[in-house]
Amino acid sequence: MKPVSAVEETSIKETIKQFILRSIDFAQLEDDENLFESGLVNSLFAVQLMTFIEKTFSLEVVMDDLDIENFKSLGATTAFVMKKNGRPNA
Amino acid sequence: MRNIQRLKHADDGESKARSQQVTADWQEMRHRDFKAFVAVNVEPFAEQWDREQSIPDSTIALLAKAGYLGGSLPPQYGGQGWDAETFGLLNEALGRGSSALTGVVTVQAMVSMALLRWGTKEQKEKWLSSLAKGDVIAAFALTEPDAGSDIQSVTTRFSAEGDQLILNGRKKWISCGQVAGLFLVFGKLDQQPAACLVPRNAYGLHVEPIRDMMGFRAAGLAELHFHDVRVPATNLVGKPGFALSHVAAAGLQYGRISTAWSGLGLLRGCFEESISYAATRKIADNMVGNLGMIRSLIARMGTDLEAGSLLCRSACRAEKDHLPEAFEKTLVAKYFTSTAAARAASDAVQIMGALGCHGSSPVSRYYRDAKIMEIIEGTTQIHEHILGNMFVTHAAKLGK
Repeated sequence: MKPVSAVEETSIKETIKQFILRSIDFAQLEDDENLFESGLVNSLFAVQLMTFIEKTFSLEVVMDDLDIENFKSLGATTAFVMKKNGRPNA
Repeated sequence: MRNIQRLKHADDGESKARSQQVTADWQEMRHRDFKAFVAVNVEPFAEQWDREQSIPDSTIALLAKAGYLGGSLPPQYGGQGWDAETFGLLNEALGRGSSALTGVVTVQAMVSMALLRWGTKEQKEKWLSSLAKGDVIAAFALTEPDAGSDIQSVTTRFSAEGDQLILNGRKKWISCGQVAGLFLVFGKLDQQPAACLVPRNAYGLHVEPIRDMMGFRAAGLAELHFHDVRVPATNLVGKPGFALSHVAAAGLQYGRISTAWSGLGLLRGCFEESISYAATRKIADNMVGNLGMIRSLIARMGTDLEAGSLLCRSACRAEKDHLPEAFEKTLVAKYFTSTAAARAASDAVQIMGALGCHGSSPVSRYYRDAKIMEIIEGTTQIHEHILGNMFVTHAAKLGK
């Protein structure tokens, strides 16, 4: 397995962050800010975020991935993408 | 080197254009097939179905035989493997003939696509080929007497007991409920949204037909009563907590695509009936179609038809390309065609006068069915609420 690249992780995180910021009325987003508990987004956005990461990072979210922990924040979503793409230590 | 790259890009562009043309030609050919099917098997009988408030089993069997009940499912499950646009064209053709019959295709796709996306391997193997072949008709049991637009308010209770689920509650306005052999039921398990499959023959499930709807009268609506209905826990679809946001969303997305296109078909029906009448009916020595006021109404119908077609195609291409904006584009398409269809149906009745108010002309049925299209898969007002929020958010972003 290839080592985790910090550059790669930063790039993934930035891509996801830009998508989230395009979709919600919020100027800044912290890594660990809970998207759903803070009321920043609704369940419709959850599907859009899932579709975005599937399309952008060529992965498929399957039933076992349906865990709010995987999508609750920018950091969690980035870690999920890294894990699905074979970078489990991210 | 740069020239070679330029040539390669030109080749890629040509190849993509050729591929798109082949797809468009193929879709056009299928659309002609769909329209021919409707002209023979649907249009001559739609008024009778509406009067009798029922669609014969033999017609549903024809849909199944043509492969129309599994259009969007992949061939591995016996489906046609159509993209969303081809599926939409089927709904457009059916919508011209009978909105009620389109409802069968709609809910079959809603359950099939939700199951394809979030079902277990065992659930897919057990049900999808039967759904594709039409051996089983499905219904999407989401709405309740007190939970329509606000689906988070569903109160149907799922309780876990050993390896079984026990269902208690009531569903209402369920399309195809009268004929369905399988229900995808939404409720709450430990306060979390959950979905599960319930066969019609489950003990404790009572199906009560709903008659005398204003429109979609032959769509077989039903109220479902669940009294300690037991199903295996393996019938759960998706994980509890994600039933509404993901499982229902997958079905509703196809429901909106279907309704958007079906509304477009109804709009085409209004347009064609209106121009046919306007071209032959005389008032004194003047054709109705020569009157400026009538031409204005027909101009608006024709323009809406063109615009609605482009919006439906745009939504389906986003769905095919698996883009996040597919949801928003589908809302736009459904909102536009359903409201345009209601407007066109009203105008078509106005153009045809007394004839338009009588069952001998399809526009009286279009008028009643079009109103239902503004209600199902999200009311016009819910669409305005969601789209308004989205557009304002986008605008705020652009402002910053």
